[in-house]
Amino acid sequence: MRTDASVHAVPIPEGLLEPALTVGKVTPGSLDDQVLAFPETKPPKQWYLALAVTLTALGIGLACIGYTFTTGIGAWGNSSPVFWAFDIINFVFWVGIGHAGTLISAILFLFRKRWRNAIARFAEAMTIFAVMCAVIFPLIHVGRPWLAYWLFPYPNERALWTNFRSPLLWDVFAVNTYFSVSLMFWYLGLIPDIASMRDRTTSKLRKTIYTVLALGWRGAASHWQHYEKAYLLLAGLATGLVLSVHSVVSFDFATSVVPGWHMTIFPPYFVAGAIFAGFSMVVIVLVVVRETMQLKNLITMRHLDVMNKVILAMSCIMGYSYMMEGFTAWYSMNEYLHHGFMNIITGTYGWAGWITISCNIFIPQLLWFKKCRSSYFWMILVAIGVTIGMWFERFVIIVISLHQDYLPSAWRIYKPTMVDFGILLGTFGLFFTLVLIFARVLPVIATTEVKAILPDAQPSHGGSHE
Amino acid sequence: MSQQKPTPPILLGAVALGAAGVLGTYFAAGPERFWANWVLWFVLMFTLGLGSLFIVALEHLVSARWSVPIRRIPERLATLLLPAIPVGLIALGAVPVLYPGARPEAAHHPILAGKAFWLSLPFFSIRTVAAFVLCVLALAVLVGGSLKQDVSRDPAFNFRARKFAPAFMAIFALVITMVAFDWISGLTPEWYSDIFGVYIFAGAFLSGLAATALALLYLQGEGRLEGVRQDHLYNLGAFLFAFTVFWSYIGFAQYMLMWYANMPDEVIYYKVRLTGAWRAITFALAALHFILPFFALVTRDAKRDPRRLRRVALLMLGAHVLDIYWLIFPALGGSPRFSWPELSFALFFLGGILLWVRGAMQKGEDMPVGDPFLREGLEFRL
Amino acid sequence: MSDKKAYAVLGLFETPDALMHAIPKLRAAKLGTVEAYTPYPIHGIDDALGLRRSPLGGMVLVMGVLGALTAFGFQYWISAIDYPIITGGKSAASWEAFIPIMFEVTVLFATFTAGLGMLLLLNRLPFFGHPVLSAKAMKGITRDRYALALEAESEAFDSAAAAQALEAAGAVDIEVLPAPDRSPFLTSDYILRTLGGIFVACLVAGLGIYSLIKWFPLLAPMKYMQDQPRLNAQKASNFFKDGHGMQPPVPGTVARGYLPTATGTQDASATLVNPLPRTKEVFAQGRKVYTNRCEVCHGALANGAGSLTAAYGAKPANLQAQQFRDYPDGKIYWAIVNGKNAMPAHAAYLTEPQRWAVVHYVRALQRAQNATDEDLKVVAP
Repeated sequence: MRTDASVHAVPIPEGLLEPALTVGKVTPGSLDDQVLAFPETKPPKQWYLALAVTLTALGIGLACIGYTFTTGIGAWGNSSPVFWAFDIINFVFWVGIGHAGTLISAILFLFRKRWRNAIARFAEAMTIFAVMCAVIFPLIHVGRPWLAYWLFPYPNERALWTNFRSPLLWDVFAVNTYFSVSLMFWYLGLIPDIASMRDRTTSKLRKTIYTVLALGWRGAASHWQHYEKAYLLLAGLATGLVLSVHSVVSFDFATSVVPGWHMTIFPPYFVAGAIFAGFSMVVIVLVVVRETMQLKNLITMRHLDVMNKVILAMSCIMGYSYMMEGFTAWYSMNEYLHHGFMNIITGTYGWAGWITISCNIFIPQLLWFKKCRSSYFWMILVAIGVTIGMWFERFVIIVISLHQDYLPSAWRIYKPTMVDFGILLGTFGLFFTLVLIFARVLPVIATTEVKAILPDAQPSHGGSHE
Repeated sequence: MSQQKPTPPILLGAVALGAAGVLGTYFAAGPERFWANWVLWFVLMFTLGLGSLFIVALEHLVSARWSVPIRRIPERLATLLLPAIPVGLIALGAVPVLYPGARPEAAHHPILAGKAFWLSLPFFSIRTVAAFVLCVLALAVLVGGSLKQDVSRDPAFNFRARKFAPAFMAIFALVITMVAFDWISGLTPEWYSDIFGVYIFAGAFLSGLAATALALLYLQGEGRLEGVRQDHLYNLGAFLFAFTVFWSYIGFAQYMLMWYANMPDEVIYYKVRLTGAWRAITFALAALHFILPFFALVTRDAKRDPRRLRRVALLMLGAHVLDIYWLIFPALGGSPRFSWPELSFALFFLGGILLWVRGAMQKGEDMPVGDPFLREGLEFRL
Repeated sequence: MSDKKAYAVLGLFETPDALMHAIPKLRAAKLGTVEAYTPYPIHGIDDALGLRRSPLGGMVLVMGVLGALTAFGFQYWISAIDYPIITGGKSAASWEAFIPIMFEVTVLFATFTAGLGMLLLLNRLPFFGHPVLSAKAMKGITRDRYALALEAESEAFDSAAAAQALEAAGAVDIEVLPAPDRSPFLTSDYILRTLGGIFVACLVAGLGIYSLIKWFPLLAPMKYMQDQPRLNAQKASNFFKDGHGMQPPVPGTVARGYLPTATGTQDASATLVNPLPRTKEVFAQGRKVYTNRCEVCHGALANGAGSLTAAYGAKPANLQAQQFRDYPDGKIYWAIVNGKNAMPAHAAYLTEPQRWAVVHYVRALQRAQNATDEDLKVVAP
């Protein structure tokens, strides 16, 4: 039999050692001084400059939405048979961006990937902001947003119930659940951090606000016990939720009979795509945050390296999905499927199809090289490529499939209007405005979670061995 | 290394009895029945081996540490791919009998004519043999290398395995899709579903996990695997739980989309399985493959209770057999068949698999003692 | 110490190891409840403090199952019982379509139980006036210090002994926390009661509105379709040249499903053949149409003595006259379609089969009034 001595005999070689999660000397106290001090300092000029840019974008978006309200949906390019276009593309795009946050905070938590702790807070915040951007689109697409509450099944004076067989109603439930659960997850994580901020601030106003937000958190061991349990349960539930939300979004398409929409692989493929796009967005934002907020010791190159590997893995899964899509189009011997697939690679919108394939499959292959995974230039290039590619993927799915349906006499080329672009720009403005404000107001790193994984943060095993 | 206990005669007897029944099936119950059973057991063996190999590769891919002490078990189970190769080569005899795409009529079939070359016996065989070659290659790198490391203690294997793991994932995706599309949905070649490979993957991975859990508990019962704790069991249980849900998610998504769109070329697949006695089997599958294991494993305590884990693992393996049976046997037409031929095949192959696994469990050390991360894995706490 | 009653005595530790070592000693001293305050969760501290396991998992499981049942039941009741409308060719009770929402609501119930249950029920937060919060040590506790508190269990709590015990266990910065002198505001109990009240109010309001609408449908359900700018029938409009809102169909318009028999002139249509068979159903149909449309003028026996005749001085045709008995079917049909003399055209009121059925029926009436001996023979059934 094996002896303990033989186990301990094999040393871990240099190349296989994982780099530390933090660089340099980080103590719980220094962590607080580094991260929690941000909200109390005055933002630099660049921050105001960035905010001005994002607010301008947001303003343009709001103006375009206002114009849509006063004119009607005709202000957009949507027309028969492309009834869904930018609105739904952007909706799916933004919901997808949000998924990375839940993946990092929930799924990686369940897998005990401790590197997640430093970036989970930011990713969760991005989830919430992305979902906020996403819900705008179905809301304005219903035409009469002031009646959007009709989407909920409540006893009403109209004596009508909603249609539970409609995937669009499933969306209402899925997105609302997703938003409230993400918000709760995020807030629960924030409570101990806000308590830390409450106890360190000297400003009276801040103290009052933090006191209320921290709910009187006092770090009692009996509280931590329930808190950890709740966090674990929430992580498990959020994992199921994150799978279901984008699956439900994919049902909007896949339950129909439109060639190019009706594919059984859509649910997992949408989820993978969402994580893919979301991780890229997180990489873009993290690189900026890491540089401008001097967090290099907490968000290390190792974090970025692992994130890039996840992006690469997702890219390969996307590649498998595209391959299966093409294979099925041929294998089914179904001329509609075949026509739909050929439209993606050779049709009028073939350029969009090729942007999708290049940006999602080819460009991320660069990340096989360690050099690309550790260079800002290459990783940002890939991340931006993926963001563009994933937006175009939804364009391909929605517009290409719809513009040539079963009825050739109805075929039409879709062209977006400036209003369409304006609203898309506006949501980017909203997203980054919220990110900028968040970065200045709340702790961008979950200090409590990082404290728990610092060296010497836990009692040595000797004492508590059974 | 622990000494080999003598093979229980009952196991050998069961295999011999099964072999007689298998031969009898061909002559008494007809070649169709024979080949359907043969393909069923080939797919089961192959997916179990692949699923186990996937567990091994996954550990190298994500640099998991907790599973290092139990890695030898899926490594040994993965060697089932070796006996699966002759079984698979014999199973090619089923192609002209059971697979409509490989019969001469296919050339005149409105749908099959266009892809007849793909479904024909020569190309079918080339794909299968290619898959076997890839599997043996992966087995040699991942399992062979790990066994050698027991003696050499050379960490070079860890580098090699980590480099090879992504390539294995690509191989795995191709091979499992081949199993799904050729060996299973090839029985109804007019039907197509692009998620089918993922569905078979979920089942294969689950069966690998369940077999790993069973073998782990068996070895622990024998007093081997000293140092593997409840924490490791918990993780294994959590994986079983998660992938039970994943299998159901994929299965339901495929069914729901086909049911909703109601396209004739797709729903026929479920129409067959939701009429007559097949309906009862479909519901039994949902209950045994999802509802029962879900509620059995949902609590934290259940995932580290060895007795419950053993039962659930057995159930999962049984449900996996039922799943593949449910996929293959409707192709014979008519109501589900279960009688002495199926029992003989089960005796023969189960006995054979057990004999092989018994032998495999003696290969190398019980833990990868040459792996530098073994200590970290043994120190794993929840 | 002050004469004020002490709530607890708190001592600080520098490292988690020191904290963990002190816990068994203080618990053994049995001076009061031992509670730890730490900046982040410490592994193994629950066992050291002898905390009972969190019941949250069970609560979440129960509420999750409840959520699943609620969602499924609600959807089933609405879709299959209260408001069964067939859409997409699916049966009203198709369970497959209820699964996604069932899943979402399960997660919603479960997460709210986990989050709010943890905060409000188990941890009794918010709790703004807790004595520990105003301790000097609090600044360290949420930063990088680990505190142990001996909390008073009864009146007999000896804060001096507790302080000594803490010191002996290695604590620094020991302080005695006075019991709070005012009751906390906005407690978890208050919030729970409020939430419960809101929930009950929503439930009552929902049930109330549902039953009210069911019994007294007072409000117009939806008026947007009604109020939209459109041309109503019989209303004027200056959009068209003739000033009418209602426009006749374009000449030559054919209604969906009807290809009119080309009638042309009366003589041209004389050659038309009645396409309908002489069956009981056709005669019954013809009789019904005749009674509704023709009888007031032509009379029940088709002898031109209808009830309207006297009142208006009109002279409807006596269809029993030889002239009409000799008419071919097509000519009668022509008269129905186009009208004749004072008789208006009936094309707008009668469908093609109805007209031909009337023709059959008129033939039957004529034959009944001019029956031959042959006709009186009873046909053996």
